Amino acid sequence: QTTISGTVMSKTDGLPIPYATIQASNGENTISDDDGNFSISATTETTLTISSIGFKTQSILIGNKKNITILLEDDTTNLDEVVVTALGLERESKELGYAVQTISSDKLTEVKTVNFLDNLAGKFAGVTISQGATGVGSSSKITIRGEASFSNNNPLFVVDGIPINNNTVFNNTSEAAAGFQEIDFGNGAMEVNADDIENVSVLKGPSAAALYGTRAANGVIVITTKDGSKSKGLGISINTSVFIDTAFRLPDFQNSYGQGNSGQFEYVDGLGGGTNDNITYSWGPRLDAGIFIPQFDSPVFLPDGSVVRGGDTSLYSGNAITPTLFKSNPDNLKDFYETGVTTINNISIGDNFDKGNYRLSFTDLRSESIIPGVNLDRQTVSAKLKFEPTTKTTVTSSISYVNSSSDNRPSNGYGSENVNYSLVAWGPRNLDINNLKAYWQPGLEDRQQYSFNYTFFDNPYFILYENRNSFNRDRVFGNVALKQQFGEHFSATIRTGMDYSSETRKLRRAFSSNRFKNGGYAEHDVVYREVNTDFLLNYNQTFGDFSFDISAGGNRFDQFASTKQTQTVNLAQPGIFNLNNAASPLEVFQYEANKRINSLYGLAKFGYKDYLFLDITGRNDWSSALATPFSVDGTSFFYPSVSTSFVVSNAFNLPEVISFAKLRASVAQVGNDTNPYQTTGAFVSQTPVNGQPTLSDQSFISNANLKPESTTSFETGFDFRFFKDRIRLDYTYYNATTKDQIISLPIPVSSGYNQQVVNGGEVNSEGVEIILGLTPIKTNNFSWNTTFNFATNKSTIKSLPQNDGRLTLAYSRIYDSANQTVWFQVEEGGEIGDIYGTGYQKDANGNFLITDAGRYIADNTLRKIGNYNPDFTLGFSNNFNYKNWNLGFLFDWRQGGEIVSRTRALGNVGGQLAETEFRPEGIIPQGVNVNTGLPNTVAVTAESYYRQFYDRNHEENNVYDASYLKLRQLSIGYDLDLKPGFLGLKEGASANFSIIGNNLFVITENPHFDPEQLAVQGNGFVSGVEDMSYATTRSIGFKASFNF
Amino acid sequence: CTKDFEDINTNPNAPINAQPSLLLRQVIYDFGEQMSYEGFAAGDLLSQYRTALDFNLFGRHDLKSPQLGGNPWPIFYKNLRDNQIIINQSQNTLAFKVYEGPALILKAYLAAGLTDLFGDVPYSEAFNGVNGTVTPKYDLQEDIYLNPNGILDNLNKGIEAINNYSGVQTLEGDLLFNGDLNGWVKFANSLKIKALMRISDKMDVSAELQAIFDEGNYISSNAENAVFDFTNSAPNSFRMARLRIGDFNNYVLSETMEEILTNYNDTRIGFFFRPFGNSTNGEFNGLLNGVDATSTSITLADYSLSGTAFREDTSVLDANFSTAWETSFFLAEAAQKGLITANAQNLYETGVAQAFEYWQTDLPANYLTGTAAFNAAGTTPLEQIITQKWIGNVINGYEGWTEFRRTGFPVLKTLQASLNNDLIPVRMPYPAEEAALNAANYDQAAAATNNNSINVPVWWAE
Repeated sequence: QTTISGTVMSKTDGLPIPYATIQASNGENTISDDDGNFSISATTETTLTISSIGFKTQSILIGNKKNITILLEDDTTNLDEVVVTALGLERESKELGYAVQTISSDKLTEVKTVNFLDNLAGKFAGVTISQGATGVGSSSKITIRGEASFSNNNPLFVVDGIPINNNTVFNNTSEAAAGFQEIDFGNGAMEVNADDIENVSVLKGPSAAALYGTRAANGVIVITTKDGSKSKGLGISINTSVFIDTAFRLPDFQNSYGQGNSGQFEYVDGLGGGTNDNITYSWGPRLDAGIFIPQFDSPVFLPDGSVVRGGDTSLYSGNAITPTLFKSNPDNLKDFYETGVTTINNISIGDNFDKGNYRLSFTDLRSESIIPGVNLDRQTVSAKLKFEPTTKTTVTSSISYVNSSSDNRPSNGYGSENVNYSLVAWGPRNLDINNLKAYWQPGLEDRQQYSFNYTFFDNPYFILYENRNSFNRDRVFGNVALKQQFGEHFSATIRTGMDYSSETRKLRRAFSSNRFKNGGYAEHDVVYREVNTDFLLNYNQTFGDFSFDISAGGNRFDQFASTKQTQTVNLAQPGIFNLNNAASPLEVFQYEANKRINSLYGLAKFGYKDYLFLDITGRNDWSSALATPFSVDGTSFFYPSVSTSFVVSNAFNLPEVISFAKLRASVAQVGNDTNPYQTTGAFVSQTPVNGQPTLSDQSFISNANLKPESTTSFETGFDFRFFKDRIRLDYTYYNATTKDQIISLPIPVSSGYNQQVVNGGEVNSEGVEIILGLTPIKTNNFSWNTTFNFATNKSTIKSLPQNDGRLTLAYSRIYDSANQTVWFQVEEGGEIGDIYGTGYQKDANGNFLITDAGRYIADNTLRKIGNYNPDFTLGFSNNFNYKNWNLGFLFDWRQGGEIVSRTRALGNVGGQLAETEFRPEGIIPQGVNVNTGLPNTVAVTAESYYRQFYDRNHEENNVYDASYLKLRQLSIGYDLDLKPGFLGLKEGASANFSIIGNNLFVITENPHFDPEQLAVQGNGFVSGVEDMSYATTRSIGFKASFNF
Repeated sequence: CTKDFEDINTNPNAPINAQPSLLLRQVIYDFGEQMSYEGFAAGDLLSQYRTALDFNLFGRHDLKSPQLGGNPWPIFYKNLRDNQIIINQSQNTLAFKVYEGPALILKAYLAAGLTDLFGDVPYSEAFNGVNGTVTPKYDLQEDIYLNPNGILDNLNKGIEAINNYSGVQTLEGDLLFNGDLNGWVKFANSLKIKALMRISDKMDVSAELQAIFDEGNYISSNAENAVFDFTNSAPNSFRMARLRIGDFNNYVLSETMEEILTNYNDTRIGFFFRPFGNSTNGEFNGLLNGVDATSTSITLADYSLSGTAFREDTSVLDANFSTAWETSFFLAEAAQKGLITANAQNLYETGVAQAFEYWQTDLPANYLTGTAAFNAAGTTPLEQIITQKWIGNVINGYEGWTEFRRTGFPVLKTLQASLNNDLIPVRMPYPAEEAALNAANYDQAAAATNNNSINVPVWWAE
């Protein structure tokens, strides 16, 4: 060992580069000083790797040099160069034989979103994000390279090398029009704190992800958090942002006709006592025609001289309601939504010293939704530490503690707990929303709500302020790792990490709620714990032009999940929400699950010179979910991968216009196990009778011989850069086949069961990803960077376990009505995402068949009515820098795909939407007479026509094209020059201010809602259905950050 | 690497085996609860006790578009499955022997309800997917009634199992008779009378009926009924008590029911229904079944809603499996038709009195001498018997409609806006799920019913 000294300089201008990182292959490392100088102890065989922000990383073998000068090249795309791959291994991207896309924090969190996943939208080729339907705090769903599995398409999330959960756990619900509706309390990965992120890599295919094992079959999101290594002495960073949210897209209503049926309406009690006052169709009299009609908010003059409202039905009897003007309220929904405010404040301190570095960070997020009474608070404390007690020993740790809470999470889906049910589908157009704000009948607070209808609907303010679904969640995730270097070539790492969360939800239902006439209350406790412990041994050696790097390791994964909902659907004392106040027996729904996966794996990397690289990996998993209570046979599964990279531009002298050229190819396999308890039958608790328990056989037939699913993928691509990297083109083609899918195969209930767990079916997914980066202009003062992320994917069904018929993967249903169901089914030759529903009979030419009475004829055979997956997606981002100014914007284009809209179906059946504004004496349904084949000439009433055409029993007429072009983000920023010494500031101090916008406009076919939608059914999300969704938001914000 | 995997993948939430008592309680409660709701929301529309104002494609006889109720198929099969597990346990484990008789009787009861509605159905290969096929074939209704392991055979075997039982274990989880095995024998004999009468147009059942009648060991008083009580609050209240007021208010008195009850001056109308909101003197008003809500403006306050027993006070309501009055009326019919030697009028009048008692209404002194008299003018004893039974069968699944299909009584009305060409359907259609998931077998059954038509009668009504 001798001490080597050196200097790091810029190749372009020859100026010294301070604070460059120098890592030696013997485990030593240091950073350069203000003048670019460093010294380090090394041998002749030691290789130094020198990196610095804004420059290309360079490696150099010491040999017999004592003093070296390193010239680093400028790098516009330096952040692509070193990427974090499986098991947290940092690799140079040129070595990789598969596609990995990395984005640094500044690109990712220019515009901060409350749900971390939303930050990823449009920025990665082949990554699709869909947002939940209940505003701030909703879950978002992520898929990478489309869906290829029938059962599980969730990618794995890894933070600093340790997996974290991205679960969404719903409350216990009832499909019937009674009990609690689905409530979305958010997905696990939404809690990743944007302010703590250094960069995000997406490992898209099995090749990249194979080493992560069974849970990585659908790709991996690898998140690396910030550390203190970039601090030059004690550094403090403060970030603050404020976003103002408004409702983005609201339904397009008609405003010519008010509440009623057949043109008639009179309010008496909202229960059918008046003419058509039991249901709030807007098929009533004309609005704004000078007509006076008794309404729910019309006055009632009592004999004692007092005045109550028509809807205060508990306060008067037999007195007449004084008619008031029947007028439209075009902005009633707009007036309902409020202005939301989200503030995110972050302070962090970091320091870098000779034996390591640290960073501590605190983030406070407070968000008030545009939905009244809905909010989300989140505090995050995180710490990242690195300590090197000796030059051979490194201890690192990264820990985050997150507390999230909300006073109310609004209900999803179709039914009276969702305010859109009473405001959009069934909100009469004469409804003045402001008159609903005093939602109790006077003197009957906590006991009797005041509303425009008591038959089916609850007052929306009553729902949001009284029937609240609150939660409080504590979560800790993090890891501790120890790395020990033994000599020049050998190192060992041991690491353990955990993700633990504990959450209490309280679901309150006040007296007089439609679904809980005597109130209700539920407590739902959700606990999740995952512990991963792994070790990794590494040996590397270089022989002349050849390099070898061999790693072997193992992992134990232990998962525990439990959920327990205790509820009463009758309360004794109004206004008291407590299980002690139950007036009927408590019902308990309890579930817990355990799972363990043990794994051993190995990775061998071979390099020849600096242009040819080969990786071989192998992994064996043993999963408890494949065991039965009596046997562990068949729980082991092995899968390999091979990938290679050839850097043409390093091997040959290419024309100067080509600055970089690389070809890559890989083949990989990955296994995918299943959820616990699929291998044995069991009996399930049902409704107790007079407090006595009951049991029923489970609804599915288990399978004791389950095999893991396996995906085999072939991937090839190239990375070309031209004109000194001004043009950067990265192309990937992949073709993956998933076999032996673990399927809950629907079987006829005449067998006694609904499903049977089987292995079978084969899906082929094929796609292309193109990332094109351009730097059209680059001068000292001005630069323009632009990136296109283009992706297509098509997942085709090659075979199904049963050779006839179709397999149902999911459905979205109104209440428990099988007839009002959108089915997501696949058949051989079909594609994942196919949507099936029913419609009306048509002739061979596609004309509707019409009866002599002018009616359509229902046809209850399921037919394909669309596919929710897009033909392609294109993200288009731009960045302009002029001196201290920068301007960025991101367009997101999604082409193709369909979405079934419940708002369209119900809003038109209810006569609320603009489509129903045209109401002549009679409408002649277009089509041909079923008997004569001649064009129909029989007219029906407008009401009859619309109610039939949009009927919710038949989805075919309620489908929209889901394509959209969206201006997702726009930001304008200014960097303030801070002179060192000014106010005592040291070098590197900076300040930045920006104004940002999110979801600024969209072009899409449907006039009623944001087409980026997820619906909720039972315990899962479904794409392709808009199910009475809340408005999404448009945000305008201001952000300031200071580093000193 | 697989240490502890057996334990880890053993489900801590649910047992691998179930006590037969817990299954029995489940089968009786689940079927009774679900079919009572089915009865109210769908069966009562077909029977024309009540009518739906809106969301009523089913009520307008588009039976393939059920919306609120109207899909009883899975209720039968799920409970036949759990009941079959009880039978298997009782035949394999000596300690569970006491469950064999009751479970065989329940199997016969469930199978009869199923085939009476749909005709030929999966039966001999069905509800046993764990050990057998998941795509069961359809059996002929005739075979389901008459073959070994069919309805009549299982009733006999059930009685025999109970009579032969000499163990000390008691029957638990029995919501119908609280463990009294004699109650089950009476239940079985009442079911036999019903089953024999159901097929009496297809074969001579008089000897068997006479034997049961002579033995007299059937349900003959309301105290012996096969029923269980609903409670007033969740979770064991009648489902209409738990649904939204709008779901309850969607149903009003049918004009058919109103006319029949009014003609009899039948005071039970005040139990079944309540005076309409706009009434001045507590009158009742019914609406012709099957309105088209898109072309009709209806004021709910002009029509009678269902009585408080169906919402506010459901503790006075039963889930009905079999009753004394139903048995009395079947015997009255048998006597009237000469299938048994007995006094038809006595049996009829006993049935009427029992039915009034069941519906907690005092029998008016002149009731049986007025229009409801056995031999009242302008009607026939048979029509009187069936009509009185029809009245009693409110919310009893689809029973009123089923007996109409067999006897033609009472005369039901043509709908206001029928979606079945003004025909009253005579069978329930197989659900679409069967066509999709049990295609090969379904195709045969559909072919036998003119493509799953609701206008093709079942075997016993042919």
